[in-house]
Amino acid sequence: MSSKSNKQRTLCKHSSRVSSLEVFSRQGLIYANLRRSVMALRHFLFIITLLLCLSQFMVEASSWWSLAMNPIQIPEAYIIGAQPLCSQLGGLSQGQKKLCQLYQDHMQYIGEGAKMGIKECQYQFRHRRWNCSTVDNTSVFGRVMQIGSRETAFMYSISAAGVVNAVSRACREGELSTCGCSRTARPKDLPRDWLWGGCGDNLEYGYRFAKEFVDAREREKIFQKGSYESARTAMNLHNNEAGRRTVSELADSSCKCHGVSGSCSLKTCWLQLVDFRKVGDALKEKYDSAAAMKLNTKGKLVQVNNRFNPPTTFDLVYVDQSPDYCVRNESTGSLGTQGRLCNKTSEGMDGCELMCCGRGYDQYKAQVVERCHCKFHWCCYVKCKRCTKIVDQFVCK
Amino acid sequence: MAGAIIENMSTKKLVIVGVILLIFQVLSFLVGGLIAPSPTTAIPYTATKCVDIRKYHQKWLMPGGRNPCEKIQDFKEATERHIEANDIVFAVHIPKPDLEMSSWFQFMLFVLQFEIVFKLANQIDEAGVVTIDASLAYRDDIVSEWTPMAHSKEQRKLNCVFPANKTKKNEGLPYDCDLLPFMEVGTVAHKYYLVNIRLPVNERKKINIGIGEIKDIGLVSIHQNGGFTKVWFAMKTFLTPSILIIMIWYWRRITLMTRPPVLLEKVIFALGLSMTFINIPVEWFSIGFNWTWMLLFGDIRQGIFYSMLLSFWIIFCGEHLMDQTERNKFSVYWKQVGPIVFGSFCLFIFDMCERGVQLTNPFYSIWASDVGTELAMAFIIVAGICACLYFLFLCFMVFQVFRNISGKKSSLPAMSKARRLHYEGLIFRFKFLMLVTLACAALTVIFFIISQVSEGHWHWGGHTVQVNSAFFTGIYGMWNLYVFAIMFLYAPSHKRYGDEQSNDLLHREDIQLTTTITHVDGPTEIYRMSGKEAQE
Repeated sequence: MSSKSNKQRTLCKHSSRVSSLEVFSRQGLIYANLRRSVMALRHFLFIITLLLCLSQFMVEASSWWSLAMNPIQIPEAYIIGAQPLCSQLGGLSQGQKKLCQLYQDHMQYIGEGAKMGIKECQYQFRHRRWNCSTVDNTSVFGRVMQIGSRETAFMYSISAAGVVNAVSRACREGELSTCGCSRTARPKDLPRDWLWGGCGDNLEYGYRFAKEFVDAREREKIFQKGSYESARTAMNLHNNEAGRRTVSELADSSCKCHGVSGSCSLKTCWLQLVDFRKVGDALKEKYDSAAAMKLNTKGKLVQVNNRFNPPTTFDLVYVDQSPDYCVRNESTGSLGTQGRLCNKTSEGMDGCELMCCGRGYDQYKAQVVERCHCKFHWCCYVKCKRCTKIVDQFVCK
Repeated sequence: MAGAIIENMSTKKLVIVGVILLIFQVLSFLVGGLIAPSPTTAIPYTATKCVDIRKYHQKWLMPGGRNPCEKIQDFKEATERHIEANDIVFAVHIPKPDLEMSSWFQFMLFVLQFEIVFKLANQIDEAGVVTIDASLAYRDDIVSEWTPMAHSKEQRKLNCVFPANKTKKNEGLPYDCDLLPFMEVGTVAHKYYLVNIRLPVNERKKINIGIGEIKDIGLVSIHQNGGFTKVWFAMKTFLTPSILIIMIWYWRRITLMTRPPVLLEKVIFALGLSMTFINIPVEWFSIGFNWTWMLLFGDIRQGIFYSMLLSFWIIFCGEHLMDQTERNKFSVYWKQVGPIVFGSFCLFIFDMCERGVQLTNPFYSIWASDVGTELAMAFIIVAGICACLYFLFLCFMVFQVFRNISGKKSSLPAMSKARRLHYEGLIFRFKFLMLVTLACAALTVIFFIISQVSEGHWHWGGHTVQVNSAFFTGIYGMWNLYVFAIMFLYAPSHKRYGDEQSNDLLHREDIQLTTTITHVDGPTEIYRMSGKEAQE
């Protein structure tokens, strides 16, 4: 089966080079294309293969990350009939669709987790050439994510981390029917569980569910040993796990002593999720020290450079070099840095020299309105004056 | 105290008794480790931000259920809608939806955690004190009205540190804030509870000014697990009669003697009494009755037992000093027992200030105010000093006993048989108790450390071992067995020993237990005798 798909893929690559760009990723166009070409019987076979190719391309390009882009609303009607919501949501793989049908109430939080991951990614990479900007609502990041680069590794891990975080949080808030004690599936066991020994750990639930859901799309496809796709699958699985583990690892336990006279003879501890910024910071560090991997003869991922310590489950791994993010490139999906703001005085990545890749920059004067001399309450009350100032802004050519 | 059972018992029987006790000991660990769940559960809640639109300021606001309040997701929304801080109520429903509380949970305590984000222009003051207007209500079914339970205005000191640099770049990062004690309820008699928290702002009086930008309020509720309560009650119900029976048996033995009981015998009996006092499962009543003072009562019972145990050790050492001074009076030991009494009294006062006041105001905490903290610290430090003093005395006494033992050992062969046996008995009794006590204390300390260090449960194959529960049931069982063993082994023996008229050969193993008293020998006589001989 895998050899067949391989053949298809080679055909695909060939044909897409010839004529696929005009029907790039609009499904409507594909159908139009189809209607136009039924007349020509000779072209029929070619169209079929093209269609197959494109549909496969679509599956690969679209991702569950798209849940972050489209707000998920669960109208009352959908709760009864499980089908519509999950088939409406784009970007889910077969396994993920099944999970969606089983755990409909989770989808909103998966979307939230993906959004959290993307937002954090954009924060962490705000000063870099690739700034994690989203391209569209289906593939989310465009073709950049098809390259097994460091950036892809980071994105996979941070989005998996986001899901763990969001699902655990929702679990704690009592929003999920299958989480902890509130098992709607087993109402008889419910009071006993709760009365006997309390409820399970939220974080553990979040971790398990995220593993199930995020890894589903990697696990359902089986590629030939040693193929590029199998390397990518291994890489994605590793990075997903790294993201999830980072959330669990960073969660710190708080304790309260409440024995006789407040002594510590009786101590109760509970796990607390850490602020997601800290997860982002930790994963960014892992991004900087990510390990380059390659497939060995046995079809396993091994480190390119043997001198370094092998990556642990907390480390990120990548298989491809990052593409050039300086210039716009349709085939890699790079957006280029043209039009990006840069810092004239900085010598880091956000400095104009590096950011604009030596192309130079334009200077503008911009008026910025700021709030100043404010008086605050702990919430909702701010009394400020408005101050305006003029700042220089530099934009890459 | 002459001729205790332990001296006259054959080694074989002693081993049998030891093995039986050991089996019970292991059993008590296993009961906690395998059957019981962890002793307590912590449930984190995030308070729902409700808007008090009607400005009643009395109405109970619910986060969910049939009649939910008007919620806001975050305070940005509130700012846009011009909702003031005084109109915001943090509401927490306990427990989570679809669950209910039970009186098996014994107690509830709550910890407050503020989530405050850093804003350069709106930072937390150096001494950020937050004033909390808290109220608690209950109900027993989901349709009836909430019944108010407590209401109070409390102040808590925010102890927050910002982990990063206080720069514009780090705006929006959260502070690391200490957990604040919020509330403690000594009984869980109702099914549903509702906590409403307000943080009123008064600019003129500087109330709730300079507490930063609050993002969320977290509440953690801690309660005992129902399963643990059941196992614990079962254990107490089983242990009470066992200690009671051995106590009655012990006292009967003493009264059957012709001499009046000596001090050590009385102290052992008192130890048994205090153990029974702790054992009596009055907690069963907490299932049916709404007794809030149960926590305090439990503390007092524990305190009495511990001070009794400590006094017992001192008196036991003193009675085995073998330095020819007549003690046998409680007043002789005032110097050593004094610190125990004073220390426990200090802890009692402290506990009354904390848990005693909580009977009327569950939101009260002695640690909340500066004066209270100093007072509490003073009590604890004094109690600590007393404990140190006590242990110095105890160590000194043990040292003295050992010095006397080594002195006596050299002169043992030269003594008359009665005296030799008397001293040998004393030495054996002392060493035995010393060994057992040390073993028990060491086990307690080791298990305490393990339960503090470990995560609370271990996985062995498919089984989960609850270390904390095993610690509680095991240690509790251990001290019960300790008291049991002491009462059994140190009860006066009926067997005669070392009568000067009797045969030289002592076939300890062959002598049968008889119900009649054959040996009527008070320690006073021995003391007199030995004193006389020493003078000679």
